[in-house]
Amino acid sequence: MTPDDAGGHPLALWPAAASLNAHEVDHLILGFTVVTLLLTVPIFVGITYFALRYRVGRAADRRHGEGRDVRIELLWMLIPFALTLGFFLWGAMIFNTEVNPPADAMQIEAIGRQWMWKFEHPGGQAEINDLHVPARQDIKINMISQDVIHSLYVPALRVQMETLPDRYTQLWFKADRPGVYRLYCSEYCGTDHSKMDGELTVMSPADFAKWLVQAGSTQSLAAVGARLYVAYGCGGCHDAKSGIAPSLAGLYGSAVRLAGGSTVVADDTWLRGKILNPDSDPVAGYRQVMPSFHGVLKEDDLTHIVAYIRSLQEPTQ
Amino acid sequence: MSPSDAVMRDPGTPRPTLDRPADYLHEEHTLRSWFFSTDHKRIGLLYLASITAFFVLGAIAAGLVRLALIVPNGQIFTSDTYNRLFTMHGVIMVWFFLIPSIPSTFGNFLLPLMIGAKDVAFPRLNLLSWYIFMTGALFTMITLVIGGVDTGWTFYAPFSTTFSNSYVIPALIGVIVVGFSSILTGLNFVVTVHKMRCPGMTWFRMPIFVWTLYATSLIFLLATPVITIALILLVMERAFGIGIFDPRLGGDPVLFEHLFWFYSHPAVYIMVLPGMGVITELVAAFSAKKVFGYRFVAYASIALASVTFLVWGHHMFVNGQSQLASTVFSLLSFAVAVPSAVKVYNWTATIHKGSIRLDTPMLYAMGYIGLFVLGGLTGLFLATLAIDAHLHDTYFVVAHFHYIMVGGTMLAFLGGLHYWWPKFTGRMYPESWGRVGAALIFIGFNVTFFPQFILGYLGMPRRYHVYPPEFQLLNIMSSAGATILAVGYFFPMTYLIWSLWYGRKAPANPWNAKGLEWTTTSPPPAHNFTITPIVDFEPYDYPNQAPEIV
Amino acid sequence: MSDAVPVGIERLEHFESADQQREASALGMWAWLLTELLLFAGLFLIALILRILHPAAVTLAATHLKFWIGAANTAILICSSFTMSGAIELSRLGWQRGMVRCMLATAALGTLFLVLKGYEYYCDVVEHMVPFLDQPYALAADPATRLFVDVYFVTTGLHAMHLFTGVSILLVLTRMASRPGFLARHQNRIEIYGLYWHFIDVIWIIVFPVLYVLNR
Repeated sequence: MTPDDAGGHPLALWPAAASLNAHEVDHLILGFTVVTLLLTVPIFVGITYFALRYRVGRAADRRHGEGRDVRIELLWMLIPFALTLGFFLWGAMIFNTEVNPPADAMQIEAIGRQWMWKFEHPGGQAEINDLHVPARQDIKINMISQDVIHSLYVPALRVQMETLPDRYTQLWFKADRPGVYRLYCSEYCGTDHSKMDGELTVMSPADFAKWLVQAGSTQSLAAVGARLYVAYGCGGCHDAKSGIAPSLAGLYGSAVRLAGGSTVVADDTWLRGKILNPDSDPVAGYRQVMPSFHGVLKEDDLTHIVAYIRSLQEPTQ
Repeated sequence: MSPSDAVMRDPGTPRPTLDRPADYLHEEHTLRSWFFSTDHKRIGLLYLASITAFFVLGAIAAGLVRLALIVPNGQIFTSDTYNRLFTMHGVIMVWFFLIPSIPSTFGNFLLPLMIGAKDVAFPRLNLLSWYIFMTGALFTMITLVIGGVDTGWTFYAPFSTTFSNSYVIPALIGVIVVGFSSILTGLNFVVTVHKMRCPGMTWFRMPIFVWTLYATSLIFLLATPVITIALILLVMERAFGIGIFDPRLGGDPVLFEHLFWFYSHPAVYIMVLPGMGVITELVAAFSAKKVFGYRFVAYASIALASVTFLVWGHHMFVNGQSQLASTVFSLLSFAVAVPSAVKVYNWTATIHKGSIRLDTPMLYAMGYIGLFVLGGLTGLFLATLAIDAHLHDTYFVVAHFHYIMVGGTMLAFLGGLHYWWPKFTGRMYPESWGRVGAALIFIGFNVTFFPQFILGYLGMPRRYHVYPPEFQLLNIMSSAGATILAVGYFFPMTYLIWSLWYGRKAPANPWNAKGLEWTTTSPPPAHNFTITPIVDFEPYDYPNQAPEIV
Repeated sequence: MSDAVPVGIERLEHFESADQQREASALGMWAWLLTELLLFAGLFLIALILRILHPAAVTLAATHLKFWIGAANTAILICSSFTMSGAIELSRLGWQRGMVRCMLATAALGTLFLVLKGYEYYCDVVEHMVPFLDQPYALAADPATRLFVDVYFVTTGLHAMHLFTGVSILLVLTRMASRPGFLARHQNRIEIYGLYWHFIDVIWIIVFPVLYVLNR
């Protein structure tokens, strides 16, 4: 297991909260617990009290009515439901923030594989199992699995998201102060599932900047992607002048018209899919001649090329 | 005297004397008469023996898991062994204990009795169901012996189809086969309830236990085929490379999650509904009072069996599914809690102003109400999107479902077993030992599983062999509780068997309870009733004003 | 025909009346068929959702399906349902020999379906349209086609298995039903079996449009 910087106190009954989101989730569950107790303690007390008060042999007034009452049935169906619905809404609202990352979040690429995590910062710094991030900044982790389903989980942030082998998923957060927190794989993935953990180190922006320099990297992810783009001859068709294939400038995140008439958004998953299986989703207006890079490009390469495509801006007129 | 007491008082029929007439249990003793019996009561006992044996196996696996978790560094077993242990625990407990427990034992034994029938609609099919169950069990045993399976009871692909090095296919075959046992039992029960009720037994005169068995049987019929095809597709992919779920073979892993959970969520209601039926019977009998809101409780059973099919996506909030889908599933999951709440409130209202006897079955029933409520409400926590984003796949989920399965279903099973033991066997169990067992089980259970709620919120993921050292204290507490729980289980296992030879002989109706099963002898004759009952009274027609001293 | 035999049902002892037995048996078979429908429903849903998500791939894959063999098989099964209905009607009238002939005709048509299906699979192998065999797959360039083709094989394979089981049971039943005294004691069995046979036909009537027709 990992060293104990991230370790909580053995007698702690509550995890550290490292973000505003974490605090909100804590409020939600505490509030829900209170309402739950309001709805359930009367039952526990009730059945115990009734069982004793009306115990056979005890004198008590046992005259009772018909044994059915539509009004009370409706009341105890609708009132608790209405109360709990408030929590459904509150949870849905927090979740809405959790699954919609801000557009300008710093994007860190991650790959989960049996049984480790690889994180790559936009500047090219790579980390295994551990991740350093700056505090008070929106961070989005764009991740994929190389083999089976994994899941990235940081309890201190109160968020997790599965990683799948054929598409990217995202997890975003904004840690509010420096600290070291545990991260885990939370989707069972085989022998060393429980050893696929690491540390999330949140640093002040200044410390993080220093760390980036120390961590050492020669090129940003996009630059690595650019080298691959050249090495595999992608420009032969995709450079703006060639006309054989759509230009990639400004492609990322735009709407693409398909041959069948429908439209699709060119996100990470779609771009990766097109590189591996260019015959799928044929694009309108171009003849499909792109070869497949299935088995040629590794998962890391795909991440880097997609990062490069992401960096290509709309050409200025 | 209430109308139902008049049943069976045909003056022409002699009362049972000390030389009691031959009953189903003592009539024939040969092995052949047991293993080829089409008598639903004997088949119920065959199931009882089988599921008890599987419970013991599943419990041993659990005991070893809790043993392993005493230390944080996983030094007691290898990770591969540990992974096989928790998988076998889940597979055995879900498919070979919880799902068949109440329907195939109590359901088989009591359904015809409760509706005044001689047997179920298809007695030979009933026996076949048991043999199919044992065949599925055989495959699972073979899997265990040759080395086990390590995919978790959820068999997620592509780990199960491509990456696991364990014996996945025989395990899958075992579960596929046992599914057919469920389907045939469900089929039998549905037809029995529709076609075999005695004269006067209208739908709204049936005991609630029959309503819940019917609702459960609907789920058996509609949900089980979906897991069958899901697991068949897993076998096709693993054995023949027919790609459905592994993206390397052109498949989609989330597709498996949909197919799996479409069955497995209703499956947990298969485990819950019959238990609720048992508790209703116990609460009414031990309060000597009719079920409050009978019709609402009956309708709530059908509502549960329907809405349960609409919530499977709450197991998939964090697998990249669309926000809209997650939101809809969350809302529906809140709705499915309503019929359960209806039942809990009605039980409480039944106890109110009753004439309560705190015998062992009632202790189990009251324990059930408390623990089921806790389990159910923690389920609502998990249905809340933002809470699940934190608690998904942590020990919180493990605690939640054990509160329902053990604190709920298991307690209902034990309560019903004590309640109907005299009817099944003609013997009473020793009451004081019963209470000791119930208390130990209740205490042991809570010590085992309450700490797991805390562990979950602290962030300990489930299925973890090795864990951070700061979680050790709570894990040790949980394992200590498991020891108490195990000791608790020993009590009923021993004294119930003891009672078969040395228990006090039971009269036809030791509890003075209402219900057609209590109008026939303990144990019943082979054909249940000497004359077919005719029902012209309401269910649970306990006298309204109970006398002050009974 | 003047050689009609007596028709009836031998009541089992746990039933109060022959009517109760007939109704229970019918309801039981319907319940079983419902579970079979749900078994296939998952596969149909996969095929339909795949069509929505990857229309080009599904259309491409479907062009390799042997539409006319599928259509012929559909006609064959519909005819077999006619012959089975004939068997049921004749069983009610007590015309045992005619009933047996209809049952044999049904079995023959079912077997013909399986032969054509086998030929269809053979063609698929020859055309390299079987992705899970150890041979190159014709549509490897578009992997989304693979899931559709795999679902095609599982669905039609599962249906063929049911048909094979159906024909086997039918032959056994025919042998039993040709004996004297069968119709007097077990006429009900022909009706109940007929439900199953019709169902095998109904499943194919869903398979054919969902896989073959929709995607042309």
